[in-house]
Amino acid sequence: MGRVLIRLDNLRLTLASAAGPVNVLRGISLEIEEGSTVGLVGPSGSGKSTLMMALGGLERASAGTIEIAGCDLNALDEDALARFRRDNIGIVFQSFHLVPTMTALENVALPLELAGRKNAFDIARAGLEAVGLGARLAHYPAQLSGGEQQRVAIARAFAARPKLLLADEPTGNLDGATGKQVIDLLFRLHRESGATFLLITHDTELARRCDKILTLVDGALDGATA
Amino acid sequence: MTGLALAARLARRELRGNLRGFAVFLACLTLGVAVIAAVGSLSAAVNAGLKTDARALLGGDVELQLAQRAASPEERRYLAATGAVSEVTRLRAMAVRPDDEARSLIELKAVDGAYPLYGTIDLTPQQPLSRALGNANGAWGAAIAQSLLDRLKLRLGDTIRIGQGRFVLRAVIAHEPDSVSGGFELGPRVMIAQAALGSTGLIVPGTLVEHAYRLRLPGGRDVPGFVTALGQRFPEAGWRIRSFADAAPSLQQLLDRLTVFLTLVGLTALLVGGVGIGNAVESYLREKVATIATLKCLGAPLRLVFATYLFQILVLSLAGIGLGLVLGALAPYGAVPFLPAVLPVEARLAVYPAPLLLAAAYGLLATLVFASWPIGIACQTRPASLFRNLVEPPRARPGRLAATTAALAAAGLAALVLATAADRVVALWFILGAAVALALFRGAAWAIMRAAALAGRPRVTVLRLALASLYRPGAATGSIVASLGLGLAVLVAVALVHGNLMREIGESVPQRAPSFFFIDIQPSQIAAFDRLLAGMPAVSDVHQVPSLRGRITALNGVPVERAFVGPDARWATRSDRGLTYATSLPPGSRLAEGQWWPADYKGPPLVSFAADLARGMKLKIGDTITVNVLGRDLTATIANLREIDWSSLNINFAMVFSPEPLDEAPQSFIATARTPPAEETALERAVTDAFPNVTAIPVKDALATLSSIVAAIAAAVRLTAAATLAAGALVLAGAIAAGRRRRIYDAVVLKVLGASRPQIAGSFLIEYALMGLAASLLAAVIGSIAAYFLLTRVMHTPWDFLAGTVAVTTLAATAFTLLAGFAGTWRALGAKAAPFLRNE
Repeated sequence: MGRVLIRLDNLRLTLASAAGPVNVLRGISLEIEEGSTVGLVGPSGSGKSTLMMALGGLERASAGTIEIAGCDLNALDEDALARFRRDNIGIVFQSFHLVPTMTALENVALPLELAGRKNAFDIARAGLEAVGLGARLAHYPAQLSGGEQQRVAIARAFAARPKLLLADEPTGNLDGATGKQVIDLLFRLHRESGATFLLITHDTELARRCDKILTLVDGALDGATA
Repeated sequence: MTGLALAARLARRELRGNLRGFAVFLACLTLGVAVIAAVGSLSAAVNAGLKTDARALLGGDVELQLAQRAASPEERRYLAATGAVSEVTRLRAMAVRPDDEARSLIELKAVDGAYPLYGTIDLTPQQPLSRALGNANGAWGAAIAQSLLDRLKLRLGDTIRIGQGRFVLRAVIAHEPDSVSGGFELGPRVMIAQAALGSTGLIVPGTLVEHAYRLRLPGGRDVPGFVTALGQRFPEAGWRIRSFADAAPSLQQLLDRLTVFLTLVGLTALLVGGVGIGNAVESYLREKVATIATLKCLGAPLRLVFATYLFQILVLSLAGIGLGLVLGALAPYGAVPFLPAVLPVEARLAVYPAPLLLAAAYGLLATLVFASWPIGIACQTRPASLFRNLVEPPRARPGRLAATTAALAAAGLAALVLATAADRVVALWFILGAAVALALFRGAAWAIMRAAALAGRPRVTVLRLALASLYRPGAATGSIVASLGLGLAVLVAVALVHGNLMREIGESVPQRAPSFFFIDIQPSQIAAFDRLLAGMPAVSDVHQVPSLRGRITALNGVPVERAFVGPDARWATRSDRGLTYATSLPPGSRLAEGQWWPADYKGPPLVSFAADLARGMKLKIGDTITVNVLGRDLTATIANLREIDWSSLNINFAMVFSPEPLDEAPQSFIATARTPPAEETALERAVTDAFPNVTAIPVKDALATLSSIVAAIAAAVRLTAAATLAAGALVLAGAIAAGRRRRIYDAVVLKVLGASRPQIAGSFLIEYALMGLAASLLAAVIGSIAAYFLLTRVMHTPWDFLAGTVAVTTLAATAFTLLAGFAGTWRALGAKAAPFLRNE
């Protein structure tokens, strides 16, 4: 067994709602090795996105521990979490979430600029070329197709060479062919970078490409399939 | 620094986006800054005119005034040895047509050959002054104001009688360089030669006459040094001395006060516009929530996000401020054609940096105050919302950074107002009042929304829809009620103050005031005067008192220049004052403190002093006042204090002395009398025919002059207050524009569900009518309270609730809101359903 990147111990997460508190995650314990790919599946409302948000430091655990790369996320304040995300985690969203007023190059360079990297734009250029968008550096998101926007988002997620890549239904807003291209790209970049890759998907075929499948039902893990 | 540089870079990129919603932001900022800049620039231009033309306005480097006596030969020799001297004599008199029909009160000015020492006098037709006033063919000439020609229906070449003298009208005065130096004037100007004054027979002991000696000092001679030397040489002369630096103190004070007041009204417009600024920023950031969440996901700290959007807003604000400054700087150029009608000073047109910088500072601080809050709230966007693919409304409270920024900016704004206001007390009340008013309106808006929510479900559908729109999430009720209401409140307050002042001047005062003041009645004429008036059945309420002139020179032995004199009491020490003596309490007066002296009192001089002046000078019973009368100092002990109702316009004196020794001094008498308006001309003619040296001052003419001054000031205030209302209207327009898409969507869905267009239009109109009515009613209440305090506590004027004024303002505002709302929603009624439903 390789080194563990992610360690969850009895993770519980309760969210407030108008109808009262909701136990979204109910005692999740798991370990994920560095460099592995994990598919996260489960019915709607099972807590997949919430688990991913907790791993990304975007939701605070109500109980239990989240340890990523040896760092206890519960011990970090909001700014420290932001810095941790900047340096260690890349996120790809279903709706891309590119900044509309920035070019493709500026979008990819953004996390590097936030980290104060002087060669941010050089790295960003290389990243866009790696995803086949070397000719679209100066284009704004509105000038790109859905697939191109997602490729920019992928380049942005990998720009800072994260240890952990989180992808939340990355092909949900794309047609079949484009979606396959994007998935292939994600897996290729994962292999090249060695990042641990966690993917939420409803596609069982896609999930089977991962080293490990985690099934969430009602906020709890329902066994694991390798 | 790296963080700020990155924030600036990110802000620059974000500015590439759609900035359509910032039109209202820019308009609100431009309007407020433009008004403040315009007021400041115009004031600076007029002040520059006062300074530049100071010597011409005064008539010399220094002016020495003597009341009721001319300078002695020794004094004249001293002055002549000092520099060039010009003697000017001023008094009020009557000008009578040659057929003895029409007559008019005039401000008579006799000038010598050296006049004017500075500036030029322009006559029509053009000619040297010496020719216009000189003695030609045995007749002296006169130059007069055009208004006298019109009033007496005369032409140049005709003759008028002044006292016992006759003068040929040879010229109209087109421009008189020192017209303001004589203070408030009641009648048109007539200028004659000094040498001709004797022919009028008006200058007798006791005449209310002022002799002014203007000096042009040799180059390099300092005025303070001259004044000191003069005081040492003639310590008891009783000069009132003014240097060119204080050429027009009354005008200066009026200008300063007006500038303060108009600036504060302009600041109110900026604060009202601030609501629009906040709304525009909030609306803009609503579209940026996903970007903010993305930035935070990518690791941007809160400080960086806050700085990024604050930079954006500040850059945009520079555009609004810049445009406002340009408009404000150009305002004097637009106002100059109208100024000569209201100001006797030529404004110096130029760009004055100081008021523009101040206006820019106000604009920047106001932007920070109103933009920090919505930026702070938007920065609370949780990045996790990106995963839920819905925009979670940020928490209602901004973070500490935004709250601190807004608080510091608000403190800076308050400090700037206090530091730059000529009257700090007024400024402090403004700050408190603005804060309370904003809070009140916000609170009232919340109450209205709660009331709408608690109103239940009315059976009338359009009313139910309208009420629901008032309190739905994102409703603009709060900002519309607050901004429109505040603008209206200012307008209501101004309208009520103006209305009450005009009613007081036009109705209340005339009912209590006499018809005429008669001045310069000689002691030997008083018995005949009484007989004459007693023989006129329509004449009543005849009062007469002896009258002298004197100047307060010391308080409790301390020279008045060094003694404490509060701002409201300074008028009493600036120049000569009328004073009198009496054996008993004058009719209509009320003793506030102390006792009146016995009728046969013959002890050391005592004085009865006006209670309000005593408060302003911190004087009490037992203190002493020294006045200089006809060159002699008279020190009297304060025996009692009187409450005086100045607004009655009856004979009132700030100082009433015990009879000795003033009863032996040269003096004249002042009398008042009442008669019905139809008999006024007859009374005036009878008195001035019988006593050519007596001047009749019609009170209604004085009130008319006062009315026109008040009306001019009110017009300036209304114009500035209208800017406040315009700011409120901009906020309304912005709120309507921001909600347009939502309204169209609402209309589409309602139509799909079967609502007719009249029903949909009805619900929109009721919604806006309710908002307009709420804002108007609140404005009526708050504006009335503000007017009440201004009138009763600041101006000491009776207050009356002018229901008509308030009702008109309220109804007009409600109608305006209705029309604006309707205009903004008209398009919604015709929108096609498909485009909106297809995107669902």
